[in-house]
Amino acid sequence: MALKRITKELADLGRDPPAQCSAGPVGDDLFHWQATIMGPPESPYTGGVFFLTIHFPTDYPFKPPKVAFTTRIYHPNINSNGSICLDILRSQWSPALTISKVLLSICSLLTDPNPEDPLVPEIARVYKTDRPKYETTAKEWTSKYAM
Amino acid sequence: MGACICKNKANQCHADGHAHGASSNSQSRTGRAEAQTIPHVNRSHQPSGQGHRRVTGSSSSRRESQRNVDSLVLETLSLIRTLVDNEQEPPQAMVQLQKVAEKETGWLEVVRSLILSIPLDNPLGPAVITLLLDECPLPTKEAISELHRNLGLSCRGPCDEYKSVCCQRNICVMVGCLAEKLAGPNSVSLLSKELLGYLVHNLDKSCAEVVVLHSIVALEKFSQTSENKVTINKSLQSKEPNPLVVLEEWWKDPSQLRWEVGFCARWCLDNLFLAEGRTYSYENEDLSAINVMLNSNDVSEYLKISADGLEARCDASSFESVRCTFQVDRGVWYYEVTIITAGVMQIGWATKNSHFLNHEGYGIGDDEFSLAYDGCRQLIWYHAESKPHLHPCWKPGDTLGLLLDLDKQQLVFSLNGDCLPPFHQLFTYTRSGFFAAASFMSYQQCAFNFGSKPFKFPPKDVEFKSFNDHGNLTAEEKIILPRYKKLDFIKNILVKEDSCTLCFDNPANIVLLPCQHMGFCQKCALQLETCPICRKHIKERKQVPVDLECSNLEDEAPS
Repeated sequence: MALKRITKELADLGRDPPAQCSAGPVGDDLFHWQATIMGPPESPYTGGVFFLTIHFPTDYPFKPPKVAFTTRIYHPNINSNGSICLDILRSQWSPALTISKVLLSICSLLTDPNPEDPLVPEIARVYKTDRPKYETTAKEWTSKYAM
Repeated sequence: MGACICKNKANQCHADGHAHGASSNSQSRTGRAEAQTIPHVNRSHQPSGQGHRRVTGSSSSRRESQRNVDSLVLETLSLIRTLVDNEQEPPQAMVQLQKVAEKETGWLEVVRSLILSIPLDNPLGPAVITLLLDECPLPTKEAISELHRNLGLSCRGPCDEYKSVCCQRNICVMVGCLAEKLAGPNSVSLLSKELLGYLVHNLDKSCAEVVVLHSIVALEKFSQTSENKVTINKSLQSKEPNPLVVLEEWWKDPSQLRWEVGFCARWCLDNLFLAEGRTYSYENEDLSAINVMLNSNDVSEYLKISADGLEARCDASSFESVRCTFQVDRGVWYYEVTIITAGVMQIGWATKNSHFLNHEGYGIGDDEFSLAYDGCRQLIWYHAESKPHLHPCWKPGDTLGLLLDLDKQQLVFSLNGDCLPPFHQLFTYTRSGFFAAASFMSYQQCAFNFGSKPFKFPPKDVEFKSFNDHGNLTAEEKIILPRYKKLDFIKNILVKEDSCTLCFDNPANIVLLPCQHMGFCQKCALQLETCPICRKHIKERKQVPVDLECSNLEDEAPS
């Protein structure tokens, strides 16, 4: 059942791809996708190209997809393992959401981090107390790992 | 296993004095994943960290830290078996390793330890490599190029330090795991010419079988990324004969390792690396005597099933499950399983109500509708809780017997004919609708006999039936299509305009009340508690004629 839904999402993505993002199967396996997010212009990640992997669970869309970065990024809600702390990927998932909408949410998380619910408390602290330092480090990481 | 991440994350935050609210919901669920990844460790075979390693570092502090990492790796390996409970924290050693790996040099040290100190004879060594690498920080580009330099790979093998069979096995497992984790462009840059040459060179009957096996699995993991698949295919086709075609002869070899190699080679030839002039296994199998199989439509997505439908293997980092095609409701039934790998598998009985939550680490025995035998950790699983049993650890070649007595409402497990006392818990919530079923951790494999061959240890004092005598499959139902053929088939299915916006499978004929949102079929609507669009609690699911305009998935979704 999940396969039909995933196929439909793939077709829709091809027809109407979200801005700054792309996504599709890594290979033959429809349950395993890769995605690319371009660092949003109004963020310190601008100019970077960030890769992600997406695993669909067997009972998708009733369970959220597993989305993780494979490019290192300096961000309060994304840890060094690539895990993303985003409510719609956990408790706030809805079967009406799509990969396209998830990627757009991740883009806006890059522009507007959520330091109140941090995955990496240290980065959240810097973000809250020393914004220029956060910006500089995020830019450095972007040019080191994502360009 | 892949899903341990959340719990560890929450843990790191706690260590820093911050609770991580958002993940606390999922904590107990995902924590379970670790229970699944917990290997049995045979302590007596474990080399000590110091003794096993040949340290060549230049500075003494470097040596010191490498020794420290080695002992953390071995500690994780030995402790991980005790984590069978949802609420247990991951071992401190594992958390420490993740911290070490935050730095490039630390990550390289962890990888080096995994290669040098995970012993060959631990049935779950490879699974632990996968688990640790999965949980570690992502490697940077520099770390990957440094890793390539350190390995010094060529067709003649790795550098001298890593020449042993054990190190080479660990290298193959490690690169396969990275290929999977970094699927996409990063996996393409990981597959250097030297690494590809090395892995393909290993596909030879003269190499150590365990190295051959994990080279095939690594190549398969690289080929998850299309570009790599093309490269690997070219390399394989340039060899005459195709090395995988030679290796597939080892399927069902009396040596279990060769059997594994044969299975994997054959699976790759059927599903990934098609060889010119070779016919698919499913076209050659004589299936006339087989009336019950593993159900290729009732399986989590990464389990590999043989063309005869009687053997399954998992090489993914998730906990993969499958049910058989035949349902039993009354009477006494028996089937047998030949253990091919000695790691964690949960084999038993399940109804259709059991869900396969492979990424969360839930499988057979992890809900109230299934019960399973785990011969590695020596446990019986029911409702995600485990109780020890008295059998010794299973070994490759052992026969697990599974008897389901619906008249007396009891289950009996036997290992090589030695029976455990009966279990009754499974019948608390369910009295009928049972299937043979099993779950597999990474790199685990077993073969099922539903009665198409004579049983090795048939139950003596009870009259039983075998599935195969009562099952019935059409010739079409017996075909286990290669994965890409199955996908071609699905891609060609057209989605109708009035389809359910969740599954795109059935007509959307349900309106949710009181919110009145539409666009769902009955099957999906029944799985929902709140409306996918407005998140209002659903009080009623009302049927409506399908020709009404449906809500559109594109335009409406919760913010």
